[in-house]
Amino acid sequence: MFLLMLRQSFFRGRRRKLLATSTIILAASLITALMTISIDVGDKMSREMKSYGANLNLVPKSENLPLEIGGVDYNPLKGEVFLEEQDLGKMKEIFWHNNIAGYAPFLKVPAKLEGEGGAAVPLVGTYFSRLVKFAGNEEFRTGVREINPFWQVKGNWPDDGRTDQVLAGATLAHKLGLKAGDRLTVRYALAPTQPEAVTVTGILTTGGAEEAALVAPLALAQRISGHTGKVQSASVSALTVPEDRLSRKARRGADSLDSLEYDRWYCTAYVSSIAHQLEEAIPSAAARPIWQVAASEGTVVNKIQLLMVVVTIAAFIASGLGISSLMVTTIMERSREIGLMKALGAADWEVYLLFLSESALVGLIGGLIGCGAGALLAQLIGLSIFGSTVSFHPIVIPVNVVISILIALAGSLVPSRLITRLFPAEVLHGRK
Amino acid sequence: MQKIVLETVGLTKRFGNVTPLDGIDMQVREGEWVAIMGPSGSGKTTMLNILSCLDTLSEGKYILDGIDTSQVSEKERVVVRREKIGLVFQQFHLVPYLTALENVMLAQYYHGMIDRDDAIEVLNRVGLSHRYDHLPSQLSGGEQQRVCIARALINQPAIILADEPTGNLDESNEQIILDFFKELHAEGRTIVLVTHNPELAEFADRTVRLHHGKVVQHAA
Repeated sequence: MFLLMLRQSFFRGRRRKLLATSTIILAASLITALMTISIDVGDKMSREMKSYGANLNLVPKSENLPLEIGGVDYNPLKGEVFLEEQDLGKMKEIFWHNNIAGYAPFLKVPAKLEGEGGAAVPLVGTYFSRLVKFAGNEEFRTGVREINPFWQVKGNWPDDGRTDQVLAGATLAHKLGLKAGDRLTVRYALAPTQPEAVTVTGILTTGGAEEAALVAPLALAQRISGHTGKVQSASVSALTVPEDRLSRKARRGADSLDSLEYDRWYCTAYVSSIAHQLEEAIPSAAARPIWQVAASEGTVVNKIQLLMVVVTIAAFIASGLGISSLMVTTIMERSREIGLMKALGAADWEVYLLFLSESALVGLIGGLIGCGAGALLAQLIGLSIFGSTVSFHPIVIPVNVVISILIALAGSLVPSRLITRLFPAEVLHGRK
Repeated sequence: MQKIVLETVGLTKRFGNVTPLDGIDMQVREGEWVAIMGPSGSGKTTMLNILSCLDTLSEGKYILDGIDTSQVSEKERVVVRREKIGLVFQQFHLVPYLTALENVMLAQYYHGMIDRDDAIEVLNRVGLSHRYDHLPSQLSGGEQQRVCIARALINQPAIILADEPTGNLDESNEQIILDFFKELHAEGRTIVLVTHNPELAEFADRTVRLHHGKVVQHAA
């Protein structure tokens, strides 16, 4: 009988029910969209933040004791100890290998230009965009073009496979009057080696120290200096999750974590746990997280998520108030029916149950439709802000439906107290 | 001598300075049909509200089928209402989105046990065997009142309380309803009926006349 009444009464006052359902749909779609984006925003932001450059630096372990005073590096081993170029491929064999978005090795050697008064210029060797093999036959394209998208070249990028092409840093090019297409002869400044004839393919702007150097394919820097197969450092761009309490604790060292915390930390893509795993994979290297990048990722993601929570709460309150006013009208309109139920012997809770069940049903229907609308909205937001779709997590559906039902119930709860105050004698005789 | 089903002793109701009912003493025995009459403002409706446990009294006692309702809580009064009383309203008060049959079953539902066959039987009795599945809006006034009477009868109440049951009906329907009341009375049902209509009161065993909240006449 209860279900029959619920079914029959649900289709009464359709316009009001439609309004209430629309209110819930609006709130649910907003909450679904924000929740979907909120879950995905860590990944999205992480990829966005990659455009600001690498977040890990790999250096030889013996160089890992910083000795920098007033901006001058006094480390006597600086540039004198090396990593093996072939070891770098091991980065793609760690637990989080899929999160290694790219890396670029660096070998900076002093060089001199023949002619031009024998100007001394640093020559930086790196990968521009090179296909490297790892773990057998798998291939992966990496280099500064992949990890530092903000590097700009006026002209062409050199070919990684050739040793006769270089980029001239913008400052150096200005100083020496270099332009794309110029031919230079370069030789190693510290020992007499064979000079190399190179062509400047473009002028490089990075906003960093590379602007005062010639930037060449790694093979050229290795050949000119005789450091075959060696690199001094590597910048690594890893997709990481924002820092939290656990990762901050882990900064004090993996020993500060108990076994459970260690497992959780190791199996989460924190910048620190990826650094730890890189050191495990390449024992001769020390991985230094660039905390500014890692921390700003966390801060931005946290702020976005906080904003979403605030908007969600606002949507919750607004739709709750909407439902509330609709419920007051419904109860006043159906006061005779309520009075009759009471006169026939219905207890207050039985009347409550009918009205709250109707609200819950409105919440359920609104929540389900809102989920669909919200999923679409999330894709639109994803496309317009991040330029890619947002992955939809099925958990959002039950969570949202429950939230929608709660909104409908919360909005109905206060007005439904009017039911208690309706006296059948008054409403049945038309006095209210 | 039949047992007393309904008894009021010094029943008084006050709203601030107004006293619509002032020390009413009344007894209704099992199987008796009592009509309460009086001009507008005499306290008839207030009296019926208290007798049907829809309202509380300010002073005195109201004993229904052995239960002193002036001493029970609101929750217990709800139970008394659904167990002991069958209500017939002037304006019928049917749930608009339930059919005739469902309206009768609603009273069963609040009473605790639904029996569709019983509900159909009662509707047959009031001559609505062909109208079970009609909504109140599809029924005439007389038919709606018959559904209302069927609903009042379905739980075998100790007493039927009717408020101007023919007040909204035309003559032919009034006669049908009157015949029902006669039939119910002949079956031995206890009926208390509030009315303006002297013709309706004529068939009652007794008439209680109210004036300014006081009983002015008990007439057989």
